[in-house]
Amino acid sequence: MMRNNKLNALAAGICLALLAATAHAQEPLLDLELPAGSSWYANNTRNMNTRPYLLALNDEAVAKDVADLPASQPAKFEPPLFTGSNAHKYLGLGALALVVATAIAPKPPEIEGRPPTQAELDAQRSSSHAKLGRAAATMAAATVVTGLLAHWKDFHLEDGLSDPDNQHALLGTAGALAMLFAVSKAPGEGHAGKGITGGAAMAVAIKLTW
Amino acid sequence: MNIKSQVLALLASALLLNSSYAGAEESFMGWLLEFGRTKEVKPVTDRQYQEECGECHFAYQPGLLPARSWDKLLNAEAMRDHFGDNAEMDQDTLRAIHEYAAENAADKSWYKRSRKIAAATSEGPAPLRITGLRYIERKHHDIPEKMVKGNKSVKSLSYCDKCHTQADEGVYDNDTVSIPNYPDWDD
Repeated sequence: MMRNNKLNALAAGICLALLAATAHAQEPLLDLELPAGSSWYANNTRNMNTRPYLLALNDEAVAKDVADLPASQPAKFEPPLFTGSNAHKYLGLGALALVVATAIAPKPPEIEGRPPTQAELDAQRSSSHAKLGRAAATMAAATVVTGLLAHWKDFHLEDGLSDPDNQHALLGTAGALAMLFAVSKAPGEGHAGKGITGGAAMAVAIKLTW
Repeated sequence: MNIKSQVLALLASALLLNSSYAGAEESFMGWLLEFGRTKEVKPVTDRQYQEECGECHFAYQPGLLPARSWDKLLNAEAMRDHFGDNAEMDQDTLRAIHEYAAENAADKSWYKRSRKIAAATSEGPAPLRITGLRYIERKHHDIPEKMVKGNKSVKSLSYCDKCHTQADEGVYDNDTVSIPNYPDWDD
């Protein structure tokens, strides 16, 4: 139980760190410098350090000053942070990370020579390995769905099998299906091979279009 | 051969299938061990190419056309009538930018979009216009004419950088597209 808690905490920590890194990547550098004395109130508008604070806009001199301000430049285009393409990318990477976590997570002992008891089956199904495996397969399926939605136009049969996008779609879908198949067969003999094959197929699919 | 070996062989084949586009500058192993993103087109890294081509138009990345296209475009005779303009330059400069373009052409590149272009142009005559590539046409066929030809801020698909906001970095994906005067358009 203690080990499960540690694993959960580790997984949560990794997720938080990834989220924080994603947000940080979008943020401009923080300017921690405090305004000096009354400058906060004395300076204002487009450039806080050079333009006088314009309280009385009905004042002719001030109004002229405003008119001299350069026309505003159109804002520089910033690609949106949340897009179907990005969701597909992060789900795919997340699925791959979960496959690795599933492989290294402690597995419950296998029962040989007799059918497992209900308690043993429950223990196997509630193990970290089983939970991570189910999460990996679910995320892989979500990756395929978002990929079909966001990149449908990149998949063209006329380009043939040598096309990297076609290879990516086929291998990614096959990998997700293999992982779902592995989960449906678990706990039991042979599901590890199917899961690893599914993860490997997804890894190759990602690399082909990375 | 057991099933695991067969699956591994299939995956290895998928990777090796891509190695048919291996070139002199970039190798299969180099691509395999590269963790940086290579899904677009390799940006222009040669200052002379950037300056000479960029003086008149957007400096198209060499990875947008196969090497045999650059051979046809970047020679002294062709440069005298470069899409209707005389773009002659001295022999040494022309040789240098031709070498750079040929070495980084679509069929020599491991970048994904270049690989797609290389695969699409592997047969038939060498294409001379990027906008004439079937792949490029297909990627743009959903865009109404009024947003390109009828758009004073764009005028032609040839001006990649008018809508592809990161074209100079070789990025041409949908997320970085912003059509002037139609900022809310979404493919």
